[in-house]
Amino acid sequence: MILPKYSEFCGRVKTLSGASALEAIPGELKKMNSKKALIITDKGVESAGLIKIVKEAISKKGSKLTVGAIYDETPPDSDYKVVNSVASIYRNKNCDSIIAVGGGSVLDTAKGVNILVSLGGDNVLAYSGAGAVKQRLKPLVAVPTTAGTGSEMTLVAVIADHDRHIKMTFVSYFLLPDIAVLDPRMTKTLPASITAFTGMDAMTHAIEAYFCLGKNPMSDTTAFKAIQLVSKNILNAVKNPGDMESRLAMANAAALAGIAFSNSMVGLVHNLGHATGAVCHVPHGVCMSIYLPYGMEYNLHKVGDLIGELLYPLAGPEIFAKTPKKQRPRATIDYVRGLNEELKKATGGRHATALKDILDREGKQMVPRDAIPVIAKNAMGDGAKTYNPEEQSFDDNIMVIEAAWEGKPLDLKKIKKGPKNQKF
Amino acid sequence: MNIDKYPELKPGKKYIKRYYVAIMLWIVGRAIQAACRLDKEVIKEFSELPEKFTFSLGVLPDGPFMIIGKDDKGRAKYMGWNKGRTRFPLEMNIKSLEAAIKVFTFQEGTATAFARERFIVDGDLGYALAVVRVLNIIEVYLLPKIITKLAVKRYPRWSEFSPLRKWVNRILIYIRAFTF
Ligand SMILES: [Fe+2]
Repeated sequence: MILPKYSEFCGRVKTLSGASALEAIPGELKKMNSKKALIITDKGVESAGLIKIVKEAISKKGSKLTVGAIYDETPPDSDYKVVNSVASIYRNKNCDSIIAVGGGSVLDTAKGVNILVSLGGDNVLAYSGAGAVKQRLKPLVAVPTTAGTGSEMTLVAVIADHDRHIKMTFVSYFLLPDIAVLDPRMTKTLPASITAFTGMDAMTHAIEAYFCLGKNPMSDTTAFKAIQLVSKNILNAVKNPGDMESRLAMANAAALAGIAFSNSMVGLVHNLGHATGAVCHVPHGVCMSIYLPYGMEYNLHKVGDLIGELLYPLAGPEIFAKTPKKQRPRATIDYVRGLNEELKKATGGRHATALKDILDREGKQMVPRDAIPVIAKNAMGDGAKTYNPEEQSFDDNIMVIEAAWEGKPLDLKKIKKGPKNQKF
Repeated sequence: MNIDKYPELKPGKKYIKRYYVAIMLWIVGRAIQAACRLDKEVIKEFSELPEKFTFSLGVLPDGPFMIIGKDDKGRAKYMGWNKGRTRFPLEMNIKSLEAAIKVFTFQEGTATAFARERFIVDGDLGYALAVVRVLNIIEVYLLPKIITKLAVKRYPRWSEFSPLRKWVNRILIYIRAFTF
């Protein structure tokens, strides 16, 4: 076990988890003096019938909570203009809390709206960067509808400025939601392939958190449990979408992984994943599941022991005990590759395991070979690189992306290796 | 009630540590200015920052600090140590003098220090990353390999940092950092 000389951890989101967790929202909001909530969501969530479930759950007998307005036009890529206009809806309807129902973009939008309605002003970009938000905001309830991003547990919001083609990051502990609601009804209708790649996003958060530079005993604990839950439940959630127990387990896993990575940070997998997403518009989770084994291989010489420890939560005690210590790091990586293969089978081939095989809705290849240098360049400007144990140069990025494009394991001999004594 | 009976507690003075960190910040500041006239990568990093960009790097709660700005030609300019009450677009501060000592005696590399949340960043994170990349390059120039090796993840290979470039620039940076 690694005990850093100094570390910080903060995971203060109250979590409601269970088959009727939604029904507990009015009571929780009452404790925070809130009577009128603004619901923020998107068209997909609305048309899947989830808002109806939420509305019914929070207006059961005895509930004093009213819904001031429902905003359901959050775009797939959160936008600052949207944030600004949703803030004026909140003000016009005299709301006093926010319930965000959706995935990453909805959560990001809600966090941005909360900054504006709590601190004043009419442009959220005035608060961008780290440290601009220095006080408590209005009550925010996060209801994730995918089990993956973990943004219900994170202090970050990413909001795009589409005119200038940039993404602005907002970081503050006050952006942490007050309440996270993990209710399996919210993920029950998620299609198989989305369940698979969002689940692997959560897995990536936990695995990277376990070996990236900010790790500490508390992030380790949450990461460990998250890996166990994903590994035990992801295939079942994909094959039997209506299995509420698996859905609840996956929701818990995503939240735990969110706590882990927002305290320990992530590395190469997210670094290259962000870049691939930015250049080729591939969904985040798809990039994660493909790059994950490469992230482990790339750092093997520095944190192989830690990667070996992960065989326990991934494969269970029997396999862990049967595998000699020296072989565990390799076995962990093989296990993750195997899991990706099984997910590919279970989704009828839609869960891609190589960049070249990612197809869009029309069946067109999303990552052409000549995009590789563009992705490698883009990744140089992404922050996740800081927390990766090994250094990443442009040439290193090319090597990893090329291998991931083909779907071939990394040639370990080609990795430029720094000294083994990794400090945490 | 005699209010003076309840004195306000101020952090101790710790002169030697403060002077050490102040000197290191001065050297780093002057070296960034020098490197921004010599090193391709540093020049590029600065050219990509917005016009009139200024940042401060320092130690909380009350210094020392170092301020770097972009001059009219878009090059880095060391602008002194007196921060006063001015706010800069990017402020990177180490949380305590003790942590600053760890960083400036190179017991902790920049990446480790970030991971241990030694820094508080106020401002755009993209710019903060650019500054970190510049600091890493400066480290390679200023320090002997044996020390830099402790602070960076992987010491740049000859191919990444050609010996000619390293030695010529290293000497020039030394000269320019230490002459007024
Ligand atoms: Fe992720």
